Amino acid sequence: MQIELALFAKLSARYPVPGSGREPRPLEIEDGTRVGALVERIGLAAEPRITFVNGRHAADDRLLAEGDRLAIFPPIAGG
Amino acid sequence: MRTILRVDMSTLRVTSEPVPERWKDFGGRALTSAIVFEEVPADADPLGPANKLIIATGLLGGTTAPNGGRLSIGGKSPLTGGIKESNVGGQLGHTLGHLGIAAIVVEGAAKTGLYSLLIEADGSAKLERTDDWAMLGNYALADKIAATRPEGDRFATASIGPAGEKRLAAASIAVSDPKGYPNRHAGRGGLGAVMGSKGLKAVIASDRGVTGVPDHADKDAFVAATRKFATALREHPVSGEGLPTYGTQVLTNIINEAGGYPTRNFSAGQFEFASALSGENMREITLERGGNVKHGCHSGCVIQCSRYWYDKDGHYKTKGMEYESVWSLGADCGIGDLDDVAELDRACGDIGIDTIEMGATLAVYMESGALAFGDAKGALAALKQVGTDSELGTTLGSGAGATGKKFGVTRVPTVKNQAMPAYDPRPIQGIGVTYATSTMGADHTAGYAITANVLGVGGSVDPLKPEGQVALSQSLQIATAMLDAMGLCIFVAFPVLDKPEAFEAIVEMATAHTGKDWNADELMGLGKKVLTYERLFNNHAGFTAADDRLPAYMYTEKLPPHNVVFTVPDAELDTMYDFVDETAMALQIS
Repeated sequence: MQIELALFAKLSARYPVPGSGREPRPLEIEDGTRVGALVERIGLAAEPRITFVNGRHAADDRLLAEGDRLAIFPPIAGG
Repeated sequence: MRTILRVDMSTLRVTSEPVPERWKDFGGRALTSAIVFEEVPADADPLGPANKLIIATGLLGGTTAPNGGRLSIGGKSPLTGGIKESNVGGQLGHTLGHLGIAAIVVEGAAKTGLYSLLIEADGSAKLERTDDWAMLGNYALADKIAATRPEGDRFATASIGPAGEKRLAAASIAVSDPKGYPNRHAGRGGLGAVMGSKGLKAVIASDRGVTGVPDHADKDAFVAATRKFATALREHPVSGEGLPTYGTQVLTNIINEAGGYPTRNFSAGQFEFASALSGENMREITLERGGNVKHGCHSGCVIQCSRYWYDKDGHYKTKGMEYESVWSLGADCGIGDLDDVAELDRACGDIGIDTIEMGATLAVYMESGALAFGDAKGALAALKQVGTDSELGTTLGSGAGATGKKFGVTRVPTVKNQAMPAYDPRPIQGIGVTYATSTMGADHTAGYAITANVLGVGGSVDPLKPEGQVALSQSLQIATAMLDAMGLCIFVAFPVLDKPEAFEAIVEMATAHTGKDWNADELMGLGKKVLTYERLFNNHAGFTAADDRLPAYMYTEKLPPHNVVFTVPDAELDTMYDFVDETAMALQIS
């Protein structure tokens, strides 16, 4: 199945598949993949991060579904 | 000895007095709010001679405390009708600290003419008539001021543009940065109009050749504490990496992702051009044009979130626009181009008007149908009328609330008549609590609940739910008031919330500097005192629980994409100031 992967700030250099610049891109994953397993697969398991699925915070055990948007940020703040 | 400089605009006399014993532990916001509480009648006309404008450096101002040079400017707000502390960076905080000046209190009003206050490095101070600076924008004024200073001088300024001289309720006070650009603004609440009402155009202060002040009670301990604090700031990923790399604009993508990025006058929580406005994009463009992507807004800053924006020809245009300004002048107006935003930001800075209020105001104006969302040229033309005698400019310069009334717009995102900043309170309920209850009106910095709601700093709460939000906002509002009193940048809060040694270092710096034996409870107690002065002043000025609410439509109109409304119960909001009675008793005020 396919999801959309969006990586931000310094993590945008870590996309596992080619695409356009910093832009989000589609990613093929197996059915039943959880956030934590995918993060490990793309080599970000050791990175401190803030993770969203479809605009909501998501834990590593969150099951991904077709068409989901997975967005990952490094620790950031400002304002 | 710390002093208070009294500037009586009615008699044009400037006098100096020691800080009274009861305020010896106060700096910054503690001093501005205590002075307003004690000396400004709560029913005073904000633009009349009974109001006062107070410019106060933090308790650590002038020292080498990392990020310790913030400045508080206070008075009764012409925008909210309540007490105001507008916090600003730039170099003036440290300059005043070096001169031993805890606060400048500007009182009365000039009967005629326009004046500037000159404070020289030898401590002398006087008012000079500067009528020929009338209606100058902040940038042209900065050039005029520089031309009056001797070769090799080191000075800092606070100034108003035409909006302040016209006494518009959204007018700001510009403070010069370390290079002399008048690009840091005490924007919120219209204090520029208060300065204008006094007949004061600029404050110019020199600390040339002044070194080794202020004294510390224990210099070695102070230096050790500053090192500990600097290390904590550098080691935290937010203050040590995210902010220095991308500036405050690092927030655009994540707030948009969370569905809380107010778009087109708070009608949606995501903007289709957020990526174009983002900190990542801003950094790339700035580097391409040879702009600066990392410096402090004042000396001694180790976070370095400031930058300069250059135009397409490689010339300085304005400061690297802050997250709030890019949102207000960008997404909230449906504008998705950083160069367009930069033009608007430059105009706000030059005219001397708050970018948050102005962007929100233009969005309300757009909602009236007078201007299309996304029309950057039209927005700039309208904005440039502010500070002139045009009726439209006067309306816009009076803020989002006034503009809503004038043009019949009912969806106006204000609390206590001050426009909300760059986070919609419906999908980020914690910031809604701060907007509703802050003594300042809608103000994100008063209690930055984005931390635990979105960013996972200092714990985490569900941003869509009301649970835990009041307690979170209360603790943040108390802690922020303390940081503002110290003169510390609120961005130190990110490491302080996560690293115990960062908070310890603040206790140690305060103790080593002042000689008073501070502890954690006393620091938080200082924050409570500040809020108590402010809350009581607002009560006396006529505010009630009804003023601690979000606009009605935010309780009924669902915001996409999460399709939520604000659900924190009124009864919970009304517990925010449950510490005030006890603190007031201890302060012997009512």
